[in-house]
Amino acid sequence: MRPFTLNFVRPRALPTVVEPYSYDASLQLNILGDGRPAVADRDLLLAVGTTTSTAGSATHFDD
Amino acid sequence: MTVLILTSEQDVTADMVVAELNRLGVPVMRLDPADIPGKAKLSADYAHGDFDGHLSVHGHVLSMGGLRSVWVRRPGEPAAHAPEPSAWLTAETKQALYGMLYSASTAWMNHPGNAEQARHKPWQLRLAHYSDFAVPPTIFTTAPRLAQQFAETYRDVVVKSASGPPPDDPEAALPTTLIGPDADFSTVAAGPALLQRYVPKRADIRLTCVGERQFAARKRSAPGQVDGRYGETGHPWEAVPVPDRIAKSALEYLSLSGLAYAAFDFAEDEEGVWWFLECNQGGQFGFVELETQQPIAEAVALWLSWRRTDRRVPTPPWLPGDRG
Repeated sequence: MRPFTLNFVRPRALPTVVEPYSYDASLQLNILGDGRPAVADRDLLLAVGTTTSTAGSATHFDD
Repeated sequence: MTVLILTSEQDVTADMVVAELNRLGVPVMRLDPADIPGKAKLSADYAHGDFDGHLSVHGHVLSMGGLRSVWVRRPGEPAAHAPEPSAWLTAETKQALYGMLYSASTAWMNHPGNAEQARHKPWQLRLAHYSDFAVPPTIFTTAPRLAQQFAETYRDVVVKSASGPPPDDPEAALPTTLIGPDADFSTVAAGPALLQRYVPKRADIRLTCVGERQFAARKRSAPGQVDGRYGETGHPWEAVPVPDRIAKSALEYLSLSGLAYAAFDFAEDEEGVWWFLECNQGGQFGFVELETQQPIAEAVALWLSWRRTDRRVPTPPWLPGDRG
C-alpha cells in the first residue's frame, strides 16, 4: 500500500543549468571563466539558482 | 586559529562566507568529508593522556589545536568519493572525522548532535510551543480515522512530508498540498502522515538567525499559493523588520535547541500573524542575501571568527533537569 503522503508526489523538471564556474582548490572558491570569484557576480548567482532553497532540496532536506 | 567549513565544492553559498572570512583576514579550511579518504587526509592521535589531530586538503593543513570553529554547511557523506565506497567505509570515516572534531573543544554551527535532533519536525513544533510562536494545529498519525477527524475539524488542511521527497527519486517533488475532508485517508495506515491546518497566507516569511542576529525577509504570495518554494509569484524577497515578539521567540528557540544558526519559515496571514511552519537548522540563505542585500554571510563569518573565552560545546538546555 502506497503511503498517503506519496499520493502528492509531483514530477519535477531536473535543472539543466550548467554551472558557469568551477572550484579552485587553492582559493577555496568557485571561479568564473574570466577568473573572478563567482560571488563577485551576484546577478549571475541569482540567475543560476544554485543558492535557492528548492535547489538544495535535491540533496539536502533541511533547506 | 582557523575556521573549518564542511561542505561540497559546488556550494557557492559557502563561497559567500569564505569571501567574508578572507576579507576579515581569518584563516579558513574548506573540506568535503566525501573526499576522505582520498584527496583529503586526516590523522588523530591519543597518547600520553593528550590528543592532537590534523586535517589536510589541497595543501591546506589544519591542526585541531588551531581550530577556531566548525561550520557544518553542506557536507557530503564521509567517503562518498572513495574509489570503493561502502556503508562500512562511510561509518569508519565518520567515526574518524567527527570523533576527532568532537575531541577538539571548538564552536559549532551547528553541532551535529543538535542538528540531528533539530531536523525532526514534530520536535520543532513542540519547541515552537515552548518558544511562544503561533503554531497551526498539526497531527502526525498512522491512524486513518484520526486523520479523517482532523480534516473534518479543520476543513482545509495541508499534507506535507517531514523528511522531503523520496531520496531515491531525484525527479520527484513533494510540495505542501491543500486537501479537504473528502480525501481518502485509508492509506495513512501505510506510513505516518503529517497534516496541518491550512493557513491562508498573504506572504511567506524567512527569518534567518545567526547567533543573536536576525534577518527577516518577506515574499508576497500569489493568491491561493500553498507552498512558497514552488511556483513563481513575480514578487521578490524583501527585507522586513523582525517584530519584537518574534525576535524574542526565535532567541528562545535557538537557546532551547542549542542551535547557532537556523532559518525559520512562517506563513503571514491576512491579519499579519506569523505562523510557525518549520525551522531549518541548515537552511539556505544565499538567495535571501542576493535578493535583499542583507549581510547574512558577513554575520556567519563574524560568528565563526569570534574568539571565545569558553569554547566548550554548551550542554543542550532540554537535557533532563535543565528546563527547571
